[in-house]
Amino acid sequence: CNDLLDEQPRSFYEPGFFKTERGVAGGLTSMYAHLRYMYGQAYYYNTTLTGTDEVTYAQSADGNFKVMDLSGQGIIDPSTSRSDAIWGITFSNINTANGVIENASSIGTISNALIAEAYFFRAFDYFLLVQTFGGVPLDLGSGELKFNNTATRTSVRNTVPEVYTKAIFPDLLKAVADLPAAPRVKGAATKTLARLYLAKAYLTYGWWLQNPNNIPTYPETARTDPDGHDAAWYFQQAYNVANEGIDNPGPFGLQGTYYDVNLGSNDRNNEILLYADHTETSEFYNGGSLIYGSGGAPDNFAGWMMTWNYTNIRSGGVSSVQREAEQHLGRPWTRMCPTIGAIKNTFADKVNDSRYDGTFTTVYRANFQKAEGAPPVVTNANGMQVGPGGAILTFLDNDDPLVTYANGNANIGAGVLPGRADYVIAPSGISRLVYPGLWKLGPYRTDNDGGYGQPNAGSTRPFNIAKFSELYLIAAEAAVKGATTVAGKSARDLVNVLRARAGKWRFDNNGNVAKVADNSAAMTAATPATIDINYILAERSREFYGEGYRWYDLIRTQKWEELSKTYQICGADVGDHTPVTVTRDIKPYLYLRPIPAGQLNSLDMTDAEKQAYQNPGYN
Amino acid sequence: QTTVKGKVTDDTGMGLPGVSVMVKGTTNGTQTDANGNYALSVPGKNAVLVFSFIGYTAVEKPLNGQATVNVNMAADSKSLSEVVVIGYGTQRREAVTGSVASISGDKLTEVPTANVTQALQGRLAGVDISQTSSKPGATTQIRIRGTRSLTADNNPLIVLDGIPFTGSISDINPNDIKSLDVLKDASATAIYGARGANGVILITTNRGQKNQKARVSYNAYAGSQEIFAKVPMMNGPQLAALRKEAKVYTSNGVDEDDAVNTDWQDLFFKTGAVTSHDIGVSGGTETGNYNFGLGYYKNQAVVPSQQYSRYSFKASMDQNLGKIFRVGFTSNNNYNLNEGGQIGTFGAYAFSPLINPYKSDGSLKRVVNMASGDSYVLTSGVVDSLTNNGLWLNETRGFATYNSFYGEVSIPWVEGLKFRTNLGLDFVNSNNGNFTGQGVNAVNATTVSNAGISNSQTYHWTIENLLTYDKTIGKHNFNVVALYSAEQNKYNRSSVSVKDIPAEAFQFYNLGQAAGEKTIDPNNQDYQLWGLISGMGRIMYSYDDRYLLSATLRSDASSRLAPGHQWHTYPAVSVGWNISKESFFNVSKIDMLKIRAGFGQTSNQAVQPYATLGRLSTRPYNFGDDVYETGYYVSSLPNPKLGWEYSKTTNLGVDFSLFNNRLSGTAEYYVTNTKDILLAVGLPETSGVASITQNVGETQNKGVEISLNGTILDNPDGLTWQAGVNFYTNKNKLVALASGQLRDEGNAWFVGHNINAIYDYEKIGLWQQNDPYRSILEPGTDDDVIGSIKVKYTGEYNADGTPKRAIGEADRQIIDVDPDFQGGFNTRFAYKGFDLSAVAIYRHGGVLISSLYGSSGYLNTLTSRNNNVQVDYWTPDNTNAEYPRPGRHLSGDNPKYGSTLGYFDGSYLKVRTITLGYDFNRSLIKNNKINLKAYFTVQNPFVLFSPYHDQSGMDPETNSYGNENAAVPLSQNLRRILTIGTNTPSTRNYILGLNLTF
Repeated sequence: CNDLLDEQPRSFYEPGFFKTERGVAGGLTSMYAHLRYMYGQAYYYNTTLTGTDEVTYAQSADGNFKVMDLSGQGIIDPSTSRSDAIWGITFSNINTANGVIENASSIGTISNALIAEAYFFRAFDYFLLVQTFGGVPLDLGSGELKFNNTATRTSVRNTVPEVYTKAIFPDLLKAVADLPAAPRVKGAATKTLARLYLAKAYLTYGWWLQNPNNIPTYPETARTDPDGHDAAWYFQQAYNVANEGIDNPGPFGLQGTYYDVNLGSNDRNNEILLYADHTETSEFYNGGSLIYGSGGAPDNFAGWMMTWNYTNIRSGGVSSVQREAEQHLGRPWTRMCPTIGAIKNTFADKVNDSRYDGTFTTVYRANFQKAEGAPPVVTNANGMQVGPGGAILTFLDNDDPLVTYANGNANIGAGVLPGRADYVIAPSGISRLVYPGLWKLGPYRTDNDGGYGQPNAGSTRPFNIAKFSELYLIAAEAAVKGATTVAGKSARDLVNVLRARAGKWRFDNNGNVAKVADNSAAMTAATPATIDINYILAERSREFYGEGYRWYDLIRTQKWEELSKTYQICGADVGDHTPVTVTRDIKPYLYLRPIPAGQLNSLDMTDAEKQAYQNPGYN
Repeated sequence: QTTVKGKVTDDTGMGLPGVSVMVKGTTNGTQTDANGNYALSVPGKNAVLVFSFIGYTAVEKPLNGQATVNVNMAADSKSLSEVVVIGYGTQRREAVTGSVASISGDKLTEVPTANVTQALQGRLAGVDISQTSSKPGATTQIRIRGTRSLTADNNPLIVLDGIPFTGSISDINPNDIKSLDVLKDASATAIYGARGANGVILITTNRGQKNQKARVSYNAYAGSQEIFAKVPMMNGPQLAALRKEAKVYTSNGVDEDDAVNTDWQDLFFKTGAVTSHDIGVSGGTETGNYNFGLGYYKNQAVVPSQQYSRYSFKASMDQNLGKIFRVGFTSNNNYNLNEGGQIGTFGAYAFSPLINPYKSDGSLKRVVNMASGDSYVLTSGVVDSLTNNGLWLNETRGFATYNSFYGEVSIPWVEGLKFRTNLGLDFVNSNNGNFTGQGVNAVNATTVSNAGISNSQTYHWTIENLLTYDKTIGKHNFNVVALYSAEQNKYNRSSVSVKDIPAEAFQFYNLGQAAGEKTIDPNNQDYQLWGLISGMGRIMYSYDDRYLLSATLRSDASSRLAPGHQWHTYPAVSVGWNISKESFFNVSKIDMLKIRAGFGQTSNQAVQPYATLGRLSTRPYNFGDDVYETGYYVSSLPNPKLGWEYSKTTNLGVDFSLFNNRLSGTAEYYVTNTKDILLAVGLPETSGVASITQNVGETQNKGVEISLNGTILDNPDGLTWQAGVNFYTNKNKLVALASGQLRDEGNAWFVGHNINAIYDYEKIGLWQQNDPYRSILEPGTDDDVIGSIKVKYTGEYNADGTPKRAIGEADRQIIDVDPDFQGGFNTRFAYKGFDLSAVAIYRHGGVLISSLYGSSGYLNTLTSRNNNVQVDYWTPDNTNAEYPRPGRHLSGDNPKYGSTLGYFDGSYLKVRTITLGYDFNRSLIKNNKINLKAYFTVQNPFVLFSPYHDQSGMDPETNSYGNENAAVPLSQNLRRILTIGTNTPSTRNYILGLNLTF
């Protein structure tokens, strides 16, 4: 009769399954899957951009976005900060990595290359955490870097140098040593990827040791390295490792044109080292509806944020640009928008440099003809007619005194230029309501079948996390910070590799016509003789605009306040095209995000201990 | 000596056989014959006759010189008070020492419903029944004497005809129920030990009577259902004004126009209908009896295509085999069909009234565009047409059979000793099929069809071996029971979903034909097997019916707990003293007075099976477009020490009957302390694991229960007025959490507060222009903050009186949700053949959460994103408003602190039914063989004393778990907080019914 009291689960795995070969494989898969809870998750995405020189909040922004702007629209605190996305997913993943590393050695049949993926992801998560929050715990309950099987309701934060020297560097060195050059499966971790992160971690830690602008850290600790090196040593390591990555690319490299890097039909190309993958071939494995996204992870819905509500456009009363699952369009949430400075200054060269055209949607084209019973043409600006595919609204490259705005224009307060059938908006007229969309992250589907497709679904494209091109900028930054360079790889040389590529055109994205041009010479000629950090940062913005790098770049280099304290944008009302300068209040304590309220709520510690656990400034 | 004759009849006019007729103060008496007639010699003309009969109120009649005394006996309002079912036996009410509340089947059917628990609402003190869904066929949440456990199950054990019940209570046809007994305290529930901590509900179904001719009964009713109240959404001009004020949506959608005023609720909801038919046959011989019943129930909801129907079949038989053997069985079976559950009501409220849903030719648009985007148009006509064409279906077909068999031997050489074996065999099957045709409920007309099936089976067996011994020696009465039982339950669920069914006529009947993705989500498959082994002994002893004692000892072992911690033994004892039986007791107004006390321990194993083992959760992932893999990560840690959660209850009670039994009642006081609570402890993120199930924490419930039943007027030929009322309180609090912790903010658990607490800000008004310290407390520009919600600040102040900090997390308050007291009352007037009765429930205090007003519902965003509930909002010209300034100071899509707008005082008094009946036997039908009664009932006629009702006009009863029926509902761990959300609306029903017996 005691059989009645025995238990054998048959529909889920108990933790013991991790001790099998299949279990280890499943643990690795979940490390890739965990990326989706951060990359493509729009609220976290927002924390990487809003409040920097790249992005401010847009007209429909809710509190999640406004607080990040630091312009008096609310304060970042433990419950409003959306960096909770990282905190909420990484520790569980670190624990999975701990388990895989521990169990793999006891199973004995798991290759070092596979275990290296776990080392990579443990370092990846710790690197993200230490940049975002400062020092974080290495002991989850069962000892430092040990798989946790203890129900602990307390937590002790390690210091920043401990996290780097005990976890991030050793793990990444192991990953570099053991990962294969080519991925074992599409999108899996490689030696090149590990080199990128190791170089970036060295670079970041070098900056942290140097601390040029006296930004506080937490938990408080001396800016000395337990391993006995100084900042210069780390900058040199960053340079060396990045260089190794460039010299030993494996299957990776740069795409021929910048346009191809982010073109939907060219996703998972050889420039991309890591991405949070998605697919339109399986709703289940995609992790989000293929029809209607609800705006939550693991869906990839970051691209909705910088998409303004272009569906408000009317041409002679007809809704001429309708919601479509097409890379220029997609689902409008109007939560984030580029600053005028980003458009006018960062992308000052819109002629030679293809990166402006390969980043933004600047021309909104008629797609009304895909609706049932549509008219053949619509009446647009100046009473002129526009047919299917014609330009309805164009964001001009340059300000033009002839543009006249009126509230009724296109129903969105657009401007007109004499003789042009399309409505126009000049760079200085970009507002929180109407602004160039982020083409890079737009949706790409192959199942639209000539119609509008499923624009309300999350993006089925991978969300790119790491690119081969960044190796050049890391090496260049290390060089600027004093690393000894090898011949032909000065900071200027490295930057020019990307600038030369940016000068190459094969397609005019917003003109929607083939355009073969090579402006490489003009691009490299325009590179200043001496590269400084601000130039590196500007180049990073041109290369990676809107991809979630910016806040981390600015806090690493401690240039956040300098570059972002003011920005320009026009207001949120229809027809408001008067740029105003907004000032942000970026205090030094904000360089660390608050520990999320959820963590503090579930800690079994005294109020004083919890206060000491929280980063200063957020109590 | 004279002879008195007469006839005793029941309230239907039928002669009552077997009534005891005694001359008061003597042993002289007789019984009525088969037709209810009697004749008795009495000593004098002024003697007093006492008529008594089980299930009827005793009647005393002075002769006053008459030779013929006819008596009409009313069924006792506590009609089963004479005998109550106590589990593994029955007991005379006056001998009961535990806390047992009972109600008869005919009282329950006074409230015509599909689900007996709905009829039970407000009828028994200490039994709190909350509505958790207003969909047809939905079940309720039952809490007996409060909530004990945090994450383990708090539902009472239901025992159907002696066998622990594994199904849904809605599977039981209320018309088959003879009686329902609720065991409330530990001394009563200890016999169910492991599963008794949350109380026990014993349901006994009808059986045939010995020596009864075949009797046929037919009960039927039918009626219509109308929405209790529409949600007070804004009309066209109101929304247009809000949109201009909020300035969030700068442009109307293509299909919107400020001149349009569409009432989507009118377009969507319809009149519902309810029908019920029951036919039963019962009879008996000297050695056996039988009972068969067939039932049909159907409820068409006010939401189009949503309906529930149930076909039930019930049979029972008992047969003596010779002198010493007895066998029998009971079988309760039903088939039910639940349709249209996928149809939500959110759109009917959220759609903008500015939308013109019609094309110029008068036909409906398929999709409309409003400011916040495109939406598929749903009206009752659209839904009906899709359903009728088989293009949008979601149906669940349930079949359940609950059977118990017994064999009993009276051991011939020991008088009163019996051995009995009960065998319970249950099977519950549920098949869900759903199909959504191409483009249905989708903005894009080419959205592929999808279909899915989900099947679950429950196999449950119970075996019980019982030895009972009944013995009376003089005034000593013994009843001894020994039990050994074993029970096992196996549950299995499988689910598959697919996309793109090429031939839509296939619906969900062959998913293999799908051209698109076929998914078997590992999270939608389940297997659970659990077992329980128990031994129990109970002795009940009484001396002269004056001194009463009951003692129980039970041991249980559960598979759900960790090896080494599976067994637990607990005692219970209760005593009673019938003071009114004492010779010294001589108070003429008091017919009966009994005090009783009980103490006992019970326990709870109600965690999910395998909770001790820990768990890996899954994450699917694609590597490119063609490599699919599933990942695993640890979400729950194992706990090899997981053991029982147990409760100790002390119960004190008094039962009394006064004024010739015209007023009877019970008052009780109890304290239940629950320890070693089974808790899924949420761990901080830094532990890398979400949770672990542990034995931590303590809770306490204590309360007072009072029930009174009275016959205020009693004139069989004129007006009779009876009334019953119950009142109860339950003070629920958390006594301890894990390891000295005083608060768990993530789960909203705080020591010293209700388990059902919420943790949120407290709205104290709106910020006005001249409020002091506004810029410190709630930083922001005047334009943004003035007019926004002002919440209480609890922080410190500087010496100059300025607050030290801005309002933040630390200012959240613990808000207890439970009511102060609650209960119900019922009343009945009878005059000749007419009777008028009413049943009402009430509660006072506590917090009601309405997501229609709070931010989670997205119906009060005040941004014009959706239509908005009608509220008086702040504008620079209307600063005295209650609701904040539209479109300003947002947190997410809602006003900051918008959740506080959803909290209301939970008080209300709700009349559940008013029924007017007429008994045709009193006039038209003189034939005693046929009984016919007809009635008209109004359900939910009105609500009083409800602040929520006053504000909204709506029903203040909850209709959702916290994690349901809201745009952004509460998280899963706050599911316990019941709310009002966008579920199928509450209805007011008009029902005509008849009861026929022959």
